[in-house]
Amino acid sequence: MKRKIFLGLVMVSMVAFVVSAYAAEYPTKPVTLQVPWPAGGATDVGARILASIAEKKMGQPIVVINKVGAGSQVGLTETARQKPDGYYLGFVSVPALNTIILDPERKAVFDLEAFVPIINQVIDPGVIWVKADSPYNTLKDLIDDAKKRPAEIKASTTGILGDDHLAILMMEEAAGVKFRIVHLEGGAPQLAATLGGQVDVSFDNVGSVAPRVKAGQLRGLAVMDRERSKFLPDVPTTAELGYGTVISSSSRGILGPKGIPAPIIKKIQEVFLEAMKHPEHVEKMERAGLAIRPIVGDEYAKYLRDIQERCKALVEAARKAR
Amino acid sequence: MEAFQYWVQGFSVATLPTNLMFAFIGCVLGTLIGVLPGLGPAAGTAILIPITFNLDPIGAIIMLSAIYYGAMYGGTITSVLVNVPGEAASVITCLDGFQMAKQGRAGPALGISAIGSFIGGTFATFALMVVSLPLATFALRFGPPEVFALLVVGLSLVTGLSGRSLLAALIMTFFGIMLAMIGMDPVRGAPRFTFGITPLYDGVGFVPVVMGLFGVGEILISMEKPVLEIIKTKLKDLLPKREEWKVSAGAIGRGTILGFFLGLIPGIGAIIPTFVAYVVEKKVSKHPEKFGTGVIEGVASPETANNSYANGALVPLLTLGIPGSPTLAVLMGAFIIHGLTPGPFLFKERPDVVWGLIASLYLGNIMLLVLNLPLVGFWAKLLEIRYQYLYPGILLFCILGAYSLNQSVFDVGVMVAFGVLGYIFRKLDWPLAPTVLALILGPMMERALRTSLEISGGDMSIFITRPISAVLLILAAIVLISPAVRGVAKRAGKD
Repeated sequence: MKRKIFLGLVMVSMVAFVVSAYAAEYPTKPVTLQVPWPAGGATDVGARILASIAEKKMGQPIVVINKVGAGSQVGLTETARQKPDGYYLGFVSVPALNTIILDPERKAVFDLEAFVPIINQVIDPGVIWVKADSPYNTLKDLIDDAKKRPAEIKASTTGILGDDHLAILMMEEAAGVKFRIVHLEGGAPQLAATLGGQVDVSFDNVGSVAPRVKAGQLRGLAVMDRERSKFLPDVPTTAELGYGTVISSSSRGILGPKGIPAPIIKKIQEVFLEAMKHPEHVEKMERAGLAIRPIVGDEYAKYLRDIQERCKALVEAARKAR
Repeated sequence: MEAFQYWVQGFSVATLPTNLMFAFIGCVLGTLIGVLPGLGPAAGTAILIPITFNLDPIGAIIMLSAIYYGAMYGGTITSVLVNVPGEAASVITCLDGFQMAKQGRAGPALGISAIGSFIGGTFATFALMVVSLPLATFALRFGPPEVFALLVVGLSLVTGLSGRSLLAALIMTFFGIMLAMIGMDPVRGAPRFTFGITPLYDGVGFVPVVMGLFGVGEILISMEKPVLEIIKTKLKDLLPKREEWKVSAGAIGRGTILGFFLGLIPGIGAIIPTFVAYVVEKKVSKHPEKFGTGVIEGVASPETANNSYANGALVPLLTLGIPGSPTLAVLMGAFIIHGLTPGPFLFKERPDVVWGLIASLYLGNIMLLVLNLPLVGFWAKLLEIRYQYLYPGILLFCILGAYSLNQSVFDVGVMVAFGVLGYIFRKLDWPLAPTVLALILGPMMERALRTSLEISGGDMSIFITRPISAVLLILAAIVLISPAVRGVAKRAGKD
């Protein structure tokens, strides 16, 4: 009798061992994907679309949560201090990540090294736009007026030290003009302020304004990229118009806390890359006006470092202007 | 005439069995989200967006709007029953609603909320159909200086919340403003008063503070009484008395109009219409001193205002594509995910979606009324659970709610700390509502002030040179000075 019990126990433990070896393969429980921006915004929309498609391949639910605050600093701080086991990933938007790190007043507890870049999802080029009945029909109109009235033309951003703000500074330098910069919080107040005539021109990203420009509610003056955006084919680029140095975009991707084991990173990258290429993802992002540009692993890390370099000078300029 | 045709078309879309079902599910889910403290309508709606991925766009939008709506009502239930506002807009309802519940009148309080919400929402839906673009475009003229002036008016309403001591109300207001300063500077992003604690970067957290001051504070106060009587509610007490219907009618009327028009101004937030409606009601009332002790108009007015606001806020969203609040931004995100960008062209290109939504809102109003009125008796009975079980239950409920906000124990700690503070303030008989008002309005005012100055290049006269803001500031001055003037006049009259 005792022998049978002993054998039984041995068998049970062997089975448990084998089963747990299976179970040890990532992922064995839901994965959290944190978005450091409010629900409903461009980053959040992109993240939710991606998560809903990726979870099928992942085999476990991908739970999107929002941890808003301090221009994504709260969420990023949270991601940086999580256990690097691959079950907590964070969305990041750039250059917000970099300006937080570079601005000493923000007292960020992390730097680029605190994260492992996994994969980029979207690169959303910046665009300069006005309301449909604005007196400015082209970028030239705007710049000419800006030269005549220094520091009077009100240009709005969606947030201080965001890509829009840096873009305005680049434009000022390239065209030799000065705007009166007004910082608003997000796309919705910016839309209200521009349509209501509170500001004269706005800097934002293609994804936020493309459908409205197409429908004629807004007019795009220039896309701040080297090639025309397929969402705004009739809007010239800053490169075409002679301002080739004014290239700006907001990109969004996924990071993890530093130290996630390499095989798990690889698995995560595979899952998300496949999801990004999936026709359903492509279609939904297309309808949302967001341009997909997957950049994986080391290449993404280099991309982030390059942006950080470019931001250094601009952040200094912005801080001096305060 | 064309509008009528669209209206009919809208109804034909809204009454499709599948869409009716989506609206129903949305109402139920929304009410649940509203009842659970902490999980606000914005987060709740966002979480439920993926459920709608597999639905057709119209069905999805209908369901999400019903959730938004239902959440507005759900927040009321907890405000009345246990003095814990389910979400920001329900704070004012606690003042009279909870007092009514303590007197065994939870039924009428909840009932009049449901009815007022229905009337307010229905009227606002009609207005939405008729009014749309020109009014929304006018509302765009409310730029940062006008919003600042409006917020100053809002803050000046504190005088209407003062109860016995104006001085106490002012002290509590400034306390609220001090709390509002904690966090990241809205313009420069530098942290203030955070003492290096990362969760404080975003401020002290409105929901934990309110849950602490009102909910936990109430529990602590009740612990003082040695024996607590159970509140018994008789069935016939479930409906408002005849006199109450009469005064409520006026309150509902005023609340509807105020709520709708304030909803047209983007960026105001749901809490301001409720405060404004309450204070206005108090000022026109024949017995203002009774407010805060459990008068039914004190419940009818804000509840109507907040549903009519919810509809009014849809006007800028549907006509211009501008979401007036975080929850609406989530709704707009949902629109976008389904390939529809709200704005003037949506009206033109997909009238079936827009009118279907509007018709569905109307039906949603009816559904909420039908769903909630019968449940009033059930909710009132809940209060009959013995206190030794009820109060720990409420405490648990609050702790879960506070934790659920950001999965952070810090928020729970904040709530408990403010619970203790709430207890102290209650013992001193100092009003809590001004602190809450200041906590909400403070950051908004600061942002509006600084953005206005960015627009004017540092010139303070912008507030006076722009007509709308000048008028509003004068109004604020009148509201602030009038109690003092009246006080002086009374004393002069006595001599």
